[in-house]
Amino acid sequence: MANSNDKAKGNAKKGISRRNFLKGAAGVASAFAVGNQLGIGGIHNLARAQDYPALGNYPVTGDVVLGLNFPQTGPYSDEGADEFRAYQLAIKHLNGEGDGGMMNTMQPSALTGEGILGKKVTFVTGDTETNSAASRDSARRLIERDKAIMITGGSSSGVAIAVQGLCQEAKVLFMAALTHSNDTTGSDRKRYGFRYFFNTEMSGRALGGLLANEYGADRRAYHLTADYTWGWSQLRSMQEYTEQEGWTTENNILTPITTKDFSPQLTQVLNSDADTLVLNFYGQNMVDSLTQAVDFGMRERTVNGKDFQIVVPLYSRLMASGAKDNIEGIFGTMNWSYKLQDEGSQAFTNSFVEEYGTPPSQAAHTSYVQTLLYADACERAGTFYPPEVIRALEDHSVAGVGPGVCDYRGSDHQAFHDVLVVKGKPESARDDDNDLLEIVDQVDKSVLVYEDGAVDLPDRPGDLGPYGDEA
Amino acid sequence: MTLDQIILQLLTSLQLGAVFVLVALGLTLIFGTLGIANFAHGALYLIGAYVGLVISNSIGWPWALVIVPAILFLVGIIFDRVLLQFFYKRDVTDQILVTFGLALMVQETMRWIFGGTTQSFDVPRWARRRINLGDYIPGAESIYYPPSRLIMIGVAILAVVALFALLRYTKFGLMVRAGMRDPEMVRYLGIDSTRLFTIVVGLGAMFAGLAAVINGPVFGIDPGEGMLRLVPAFLVVVIGGMGSISGAVVAGLLLGFATTLTTASPFPQYSEVIVYFIAVVVLSIRPRGIFGMKGVG
Repeated sequence: MANSNDKAKGNAKKGISRRNFLKGAAGVASAFAVGNQLGIGGIHNLARAQDYPALGNYPVTGDVVLGLNFPQTGPYSDEGADEFRAYQLAIKHLNGEGDGGMMNTMQPSALTGEGILGKKVTFVTGDTETNSAASRDSARRLIERDKAIMITGGSSSGVAIAVQGLCQEAKVLFMAALTHSNDTTGSDRKRYGFRYFFNTEMSGRALGGLLANEYGADRRAYHLTADYTWGWSQLRSMQEYTEQEGWTTENNILTPITTKDFSPQLTQVLNSDADTLVLNFYGQNMVDSLTQAVDFGMRERTVNGKDFQIVVPLYSRLMASGAKDNIEGIFGTMNWSYKLQDEGSQAFTNSFVEEYGTPPSQAAHTSYVQTLLYADACERAGTFYPPEVIRALEDHSVAGVGPGVCDYRGSDHQAFHDVLVVKGKPESARDDDNDLLEIVDQVDKSVLVYEDGAVDLPDRPGDLGPYGDEA
Repeated sequence: MTLDQIILQLLTSLQLGAVFVLVALGLTLIFGTLGIANFAHGALYLIGAYVGLVISNSIGWPWALVIVPAILFLVGIIFDRVLLQFFYKRDVTDQILVTFGLALMVQETMRWIFGGTTQSFDVPRWARRRINLGDYIPGAESIYYPPSRLIMIGVAILAVVALFALLRYTKFGLMVRAGMRDPEMVRYLGIDSTRLFTIVVGLGAMFAGLAAVINGPVFGIDPGEGMLRLVPAFLVVVIGGMGSISGAVVAGLLLGFATTLTTASPFPQYSEVIVYFIAVVVLSIRPRGIFGMKGVG
């Protein structure tokens, strides 16, 4: 008590009035309160925020502009349409409108519901056309003309790799949406690119053993594969993890992404000794190839005394909806499902259903989560300065955005979290038109984590590249 | 190779050929008569496909098969009267620009009305039901083939036969063939070439509509579909000989078989490239195409 009095006297001697003291104390308290929100690094960054040099589209003047670059045309445009719905919802929530969705469940979270760093969030859109060149052109437009501080979207690994390369050059962050090729965070990884979606290595790990258990170890697989980075990656992973179980690969045919009639390829499958067809396709390609395979009687086929089987390694509800009853009993993997019961998934699903009247797809979920994670990283970094936002995302762990905890690995920018093995439901088992896939297994992320560099192409080890603020 | 495998290979080749031929028929008919490379043919296909989609999903695909060609015939006539007739005598660059421009306008209009996503035709169950051709072909065992694809082959054969009959055995056909050979002489003979040309454009559009409804159940429809079908159709017309109906049929079948055989080869990834390779080879040896006539193309 005596000490307090002494200090009070001392303060009075220095001319500090009671009024000034209270004002100062309030300031310190506020700083601590903000510090609790931002973490110690946050205060540090807040102090430095004004010191960063211009880089990419930093500094942000006026509203925050996010560049939504998604397929509005082409074989993946269904996924693109759902991505766009999710982005609009995320932006609404970030701006404090609606019920907040996953902002209520994400832990830790620095999101405030007042935009990002107090700035209102807006967006501009581009059409990737599911085409690498077109996606780069539209991303360039979003960066140069519209001054987007972050680019997000895409439904193809070819597009993701092309756009993240551009973003690395432009020093603008790219939060990838649907991209499943190992190469996106493997050989083609970039410092400015981040992927929440799982990859073909994880699909292979999740599916290989299960397929052998279901269909036996003595199978001859015929692969039909989309002829671009994702298809090649999916083929490698499926071959590796099915051959580990004793399967052999009869043949593989690469087909361009523009293919709509798969009859020449399916004819070769029918004319072979294969007893299993693996469709390494996504989007409309998968819908068309599966529908046509069923039309050609493959589900009724028997080869060498075994029932013919079809596998779709990467599933989505939108694809299942397109393929209708043809999906019955067919196994595949997914990043996420609206059927998941964890708090984050339900919060997002409820918001999405409230807004659009239909449950979200995994494309929508990834897009939504990526937008929130970017906003959260800016808040934690206390700045839009890209190198600091990147550092805030690297090795960051977050819960409440899906089942379990999601870890963003700093060395390759790949997120690790649980993924799902699903199976097409028969019509009689469906609750409604959206209830097309049954979750057979939720594969723990510990099974899916691989050593950094393990999925890189042998002749092309990945390198993230510079942050852009190195001396 | 078993009999089943040979028949399956044959059917797939014929079906692919049917797709090539059906789209190319209208294109080559218009070029042969008017001398116009109609880059809007893909747009006519697109209109046919979307009209077919609406009809198919409301009153059924068989109705679309009948109604769409009739509607497209009218669309073709309007197209000719409102636009194409003014370009009969214009420079070929103008003809290409105006038809290509129209194609882009139609494509974007369809995107605006129907959206950019792929939409599927509601095909009747009987057309989707798998049938085992092995039950009907002596010596064959198990060949499952979708009826919708057999219909493709059947309709293509009927369309080709009907067009041949029209051109070979009717007065109208005689005038068209004369117009294909020597349009100036036809005019000097007092034949109303304007009316003749308009009907030919209508017929060309009708074939585009028929192709669209036949292909719809297999390919679905999106705004890019017209352009996607146009390029191989032009290849068929060029390989077969500009303006030659027989050439289009032969070239279409040639490309169908080439695609299937390449897919069965050790290099299946070249199955789409092979059509361009054939075009290069044929045009190097015979610049007028297989059945190309002197002075045409």
